[in-house]
Amino acid sequence: MPLIRKPPVEAAGTPASAPDAAAVFAALARGTDDERWSAARAAADLPDSVPALEDALRRERSPVVREALFSALAHIATTQSVEAVLRFLRSDDAAVRTEASDSLLAMKDVVWPYVAPLLRDANADVRILACGLVRDMPSQVAVSLCCGVLDSEAEPNVCAAAVEVLAEVGESSALPALERCAKRFSDAPFLTFSIQMAVGRVRSQAPKPRA
Amino acid sequence: MLEFPALTQDEFRRLCEFLYRRTGMTFTEAKRYYVERRVIERMTTTESSSFETYFARLRTDLQGEVEQFVNAFTINETYFYREEHQLTCLTSELLAERLKVKRPGDSIRIWSVPCSTGEEPYSIAIWLLENWRHVDDYHIEIVGSDIDTDAIALARAGAYGNRALTRLPPQVVEKYFVANGADSWQILDDLRGSVSFTRVNIVERAETKPHGQFDVIFCRNVLIYFDDLSRRTAAENLFENLYPGGFICLGHTESMSRISPLFDVARFSDAIVYQRPAR
Repeated sequence: MPLIRKPPVEAAGTPASAPDAAAVFAALARGTDDERWSAARAAADLPDSVPALEDALRRERSPVVREALFSALAHIATTQSVEAVLRFLRSDDAAVRTEASDSLLAMKDVVWPYVAPLLRDANADVRILACGLVRDMPSQVAVSLCCGVLDSEAEPNVCAAAVEVLAEVGESSALPALERCAKRFSDAPFLTFSIQMAVGRVRSQAPKPRA
Repeated sequence: MLEFPALTQDEFRRLCEFLYRRTGMTFTEAKRYYVERRVIERMTTTESSSFETYFARLRTDLQGEVEQFVNAFTINETYFYREEHQLTCLTSELLAERLKVKRPGDSIRIWSVPCSTGEEPYSIAIWLLENWRHVDDYHIEIVGSDIDTDAIALARAGAYGNRALTRLPPQVVEKYFVANGADSWQILDDLRGSVSFTRVNIVERAETKPHGQFDVIFCRNVLIYFDDLSRRTAAENLFENLYPGGFICLGHTESMSRISPLFDVARFSDAIVYQRPAR
């Protein structure tokens, strides 16, 4: 039979040895693509690695390594790692901004205290991404934050991002804010259309007996 | 079961968007009936009076509802030659691609994870022996891994009931199994001895990395259970466990595109799979 069997892998139950921090940081700074990727993954188990990971992200040009760096920061999930990732929400590179946003989403409730200030950020791109972070928050909080955006936001694209979240969370308490926003931006057809869709969805969710 | 009307267009779309974002599962309008059946099952079980009530439960993952919902889609009896189109793709396309960087006598490594009670890795072995003309030209190593050690013990034992074998042609059953009572079949020792089984948690790099690199990984219906961070970690672990140019096969509703940008989509006539970019 041409099938072969090798000796069993000695993996399970073997305690992982802690990575050598100095070697990891050196590889992050000067390694090949593969070495940087491996170092980024190892750094996830080193809570003190946040500054090195942030430095590495500033230099990194490989999307694959960058993904591992953002994952390591998400894995660490401390206020320090949240703040490190937040700086990349302002990147000029849209791909980096999206990767940073995904990394923040993966940190779940650790990032929630930062969301309200982000929704008031001076940079509209940051405010749009912050709307995405609202999505996984408890429904009441999410609705309240998004309605706040609809009532105060000057940039229609940010409102559209908030509308998208409300279309998913969909509680009838959001209807007045959606309607006020539609009036305020009656000259922005794409937003008016998005709001109509969201209102339709929210209304279709009104509890109705199905038994 | 209570009688529920069909989901509205908005409800269906909203549910599908949530499932894609939360689990990476994708459903089109063509799958509406399939989705609706599961939603109605879960609404009945959870005594939800409306889709609104049920969707709120799902969104907030009340009492682990996401896992229960995913279970409604994926818990099927595991059996030999399940998702046969992927096995066809393995021999007609994936291995042909891998042979471009192999020489006769080289190893070809295939990983089935999670392998549950072993039907998938044994299916791969049988499929290759029956359907791949190059089977004698390479050393083929098949590894089955699972987090559940009880499942692994059953996989190693290699005894299966009639139902697990229903998709296998009778001549294949006769060739690779020995009847062991009225409703039990024992897989031949030669075949049993050619597949290795290990325990692994695919979210733990310390456990995945020692398995080395593979040409093809079958990883069906497990990533959908994980939260964002675990899914990212698992995807990175699996990426590391693939040779450059190697392939990963997911379940038919799963999409790696939502999970990780690391892989390229590889579309073949029998299946859509994901590929670690070749250097």
